[in-house]
Amino acid sequence: MKRVAALFVVLVLLPATRLFAHDIPRDVTVQAFAKPEGQTFKLLVRVPLKAIMDIEFPRKERDFMDLERMDQALRDASMIWLARKVELFEDDTLLPEPRILSTRVALESDRSFASYEQALAHVTGPALGNDVSIFWEQGLLDVLFEYPIRSDRSHFAIHMAFDRLGIRVVTALRFMPPGVVRAYELEGDAGLVPLDPRWSQAVLRFVNLGFFHILDGTDHLLFLFCLVIPFRRIWTLVPIVTAFTVAHSITLIAAAYNYAPGALWFPPLIETLIATSIVYMALENIAVDSPRRRWMITFLFGLVHGFGFSFGLQHTLQFAGSHLLTSLLSFNVGVELGQLLVLVLMVPALGLLFRYVVAERMGTIILSAIVAHTAWHWMTDRYAVLQQFPWPEITAADAASAIRWLMLLIVLVAGAYLLGRAGASAHDSDTPRTPSRVPKPGPALRTESPE
Amino acid sequence: MRVGVPKEADVRNLTRNRSLVAGASVVALLVVMGISQLVLERTAAAQNKGAVQAPRFEVDPLWPKPLPNHWILGSTIGVWVDTDDHVWVIHRSTATLGNNEKTLETKQGECCAGAPPVLEFDQEGNLLRHWGGPGQGYEWPDSNHGIFIDYKGNVWVGGNGGPDSHILKFTKDGKFLLQVGKKGARRKEGAGAGNQEGQVAGFVGGSNDQVSFGRVAKIFVDAKANEAYIADGYLNKRVAVLDADTGKMKRFWGAYGNKPDDTPLPPYNPSNPPAQQFYNPVHCADMSVDRLIYVCDRVGDRLQVFTPEGKFVKEQWYEKNTLNAGSVWDIAFSKDAQQKYIFMADGVNEKVKIIDRQTLEELTTFGDGGRYPGQFYGVHSIAIDSKGNLYTTETYEGKRIQRFLYKGMAPVTKKDQGVVWPSRSTR
Repeated sequence: MKRVAALFVVLVLLPATRLFAHDIPRDVTVQAFAKPEGQTFKLLVRVPLKAIMDIEFPRKERDFMDLERMDQALRDASMIWLARKVELFEDDTLLPEPRILSTRVALESDRSFASYEQALAHVTGPALGNDVSIFWEQGLLDVLFEYPIRSDRSHFAIHMAFDRLGIRVVTALRFMPPGVVRAYELEGDAGLVPLDPRWSQAVLRFVNLGFFHILDGTDHLLFLFCLVIPFRRIWTLVPIVTAFTVAHSITLIAAAYNYAPGALWFPPLIETLIATSIVYMALENIAVDSPRRRWMITFLFGLVHGFGFSFGLQHTLQFAGSHLLTSLLSFNVGVELGQLLVLVLMVPALGLLFRYVVAERMGTIILSAIVAHTAWHWMTDRYAVLQQFPWPEITAADAASAIRWLMLLIVLVAGAYLLGRAGASAHDSDTPRTPSRVPKPGPALRTESPE
Repeated sequence: MRVGVPKEADVRNLTRNRSLVAGASVVALLVVMGISQLVLERTAAAQNKGAVQAPRFEVDPLWPKPLPNHWILGSTIGVWVDTDDHVWVIHRSTATLGNNEKTLETKQGECCAGAPPVLEFDQEGNLLRHWGGPGQGYEWPDSNHGIFIDYKGNVWVGGNGGPDSHILKFTKDGKFLLQVGKKGARRKEGAGAGNQEGQVAGFVGGSNDQVSFGRVAKIFVDAKANEAYIADGYLNKRVAVLDADTGKMKRFWGAYGNKPDDTPLPPYNPSNPPAQQFYNPVHCADMSVDRLIYVCDRVGDRLQVFTPEGKFVKEQWYEKNTLNAGSVWDIAFSKDAQQKYIFMADGVNEKVKIIDRQTLEELTTFGDGGRYPGQFYGVHSIAIDSKGNLYTTETYEGKRIQRFLYKGMAPVTKKDQGVVWPSRSTR
């Protein structure tokens, strides 16, 4: 009963207290530089003052900040809302709370956090004079923290739990060990981020990511489902799944190395093609009793799905550190493990279904029709999104560039063909000729032999 | 007769011949493609060499999102983009809505009601903050006009209603900070309390007043000097410069840097010698990165350029034969470091002009009259975000804001591009 009464009192008072409350901002961007240098690790942070709650900033007339008396409040805000929300690890050892070297108030229009040098000069430079009138919620808090470290070559990991600063918080962090700049964009509380991950950490993270990515991706799973419906033995699926794996690895790696178009229309195009690939596979299952050479078409569609995987990976590649290729390959391994799990479950399940519930051919048609129906809707929905992007105007320069790429493709294909021929000739010259190798005569080769 | 088995040499010859033909075809194809590619490259080079480049835009018909609460915009007479790329709009709301537009307000139907005068949109087109209107401690203008967000995040508002002779400064949340000038300061002694926009009887210009203004059109704050430049206005004929914190008048000037004179000018006539004073309204006074002040003499169809001290630098006329409300309504500078281009709203000819800032030469225009996306009805104000996208607002019965997406630089092939509709339909 007491609890109910207390709750009642709280509910009655709530509207009154809200009047004085400082609203939680909807979008907050935190900018940060992390720079290990010798025996110190400098962390420069900029956060909008509107995101700082429960700190009374000294004010003068019209609620302008009293900049002369702000120092303690800024230090309190920096410690409570920033330093205590950050955990910094050096070689897996949690470092103690940092020292605040300097705090500053900046104007919203200040651009000094464009680079570390400018930001450092700003935070350690002259403060705004008290003659500057800034409404207290419209300023920025800039802080320079310093952590003692053993070496700037150590492995660092950071956990920035800034999610309470706003409804949506994005932290743009630039990690700057000697000779390197690594950019991170972290949403809310992104957990512990190894800033310079070891290869084993990268492998573990990306295998995990790949595994759950395929299990989360309904369209990839449906494509896989379509692939296996007509096949009852796992070994017959080996070339098909291998072709898919090789193909998606190629485009995934190409995309990670920025060889994919960066235009806005590209993701909807790929999403549409992925849906189309499912429709095609489902229709082929219906139309063809036992599909042959499925590995070839699977390879082509695998190229498309690889780009699809890359969209899921785009935001995560920042956690690869210096192990980009290792991370990509690990992601692929994760995807394969996920696929294998699905196959191991799916093939026997289909076997049982076709044995006890419905005849194989009829079952294949029914299942494929259901899948085709779903994928058709995806395809039309995604095409509608794609249609919102205008066709780019084809200029003479674009046409010239396209011809150059086409020429390169022709040369590559011709080269591959010649290599194949050369290989075959070498093989022929090593192999004793048999009559069966002589082609059957065509009409032009017919000769009349004398009776 | 019987068919003989061909000799192995014949087969080899045939295969070789086929290979030769195929190889020669590939080589011939590559040669043709190489030549085509060279020709196209030359064509492209020739096109780019002769063509003037200018920014290209396409209307974004999906921005902003519909307003909540059956809210509707009135004549929309100010726009600015802040440092977060949030778009701020000021409009005249219910005062400019017909009875058939606001039946929710008059309780005669379900739609619509005038939105609050000051609106903030994010880049996704969501409405964020909304406020404005009369309040304690300040005099809200009879007819809002112009909005500006300064480098400290404060919101400035002007007004061109009959008695409006003041400007206001608020925080982004709408908390009042400063009023400069007194409402009604331009009222003639003994005149009645008429207050319609454009009403001259009962009011008189005071372009040498150190305290109040005469129906301010637009405000711009220079961060470096912490000075506010006031386009003053619909009744006065000057640019006034204030301390942006205290509002204390620092200096002012008229056309060509002359001392302002409120003697009524004859109607603008393109054949007459240039007027030595501004016409009404003085509609914009914006500063460029190289610290030049660009002043819109709207009815005089001219843009005049000054130093911050008010020394005349140069001028240019646009659509010089435009009468009525004039052709030079508002400007925005391009987002490149040099601000190479000026974008000018022209609410009579219903276009946005793209102008080379150095030469003041008009390069191309886009837009046309009408109510569909990309068309204009009284395009009044213009602003630009950090990505180079333009925002326009429309007065009279236009009553809307539109976004034009920056699509990169392109050779100018048409003097007048017309409606810059997206290349493919949107659904």
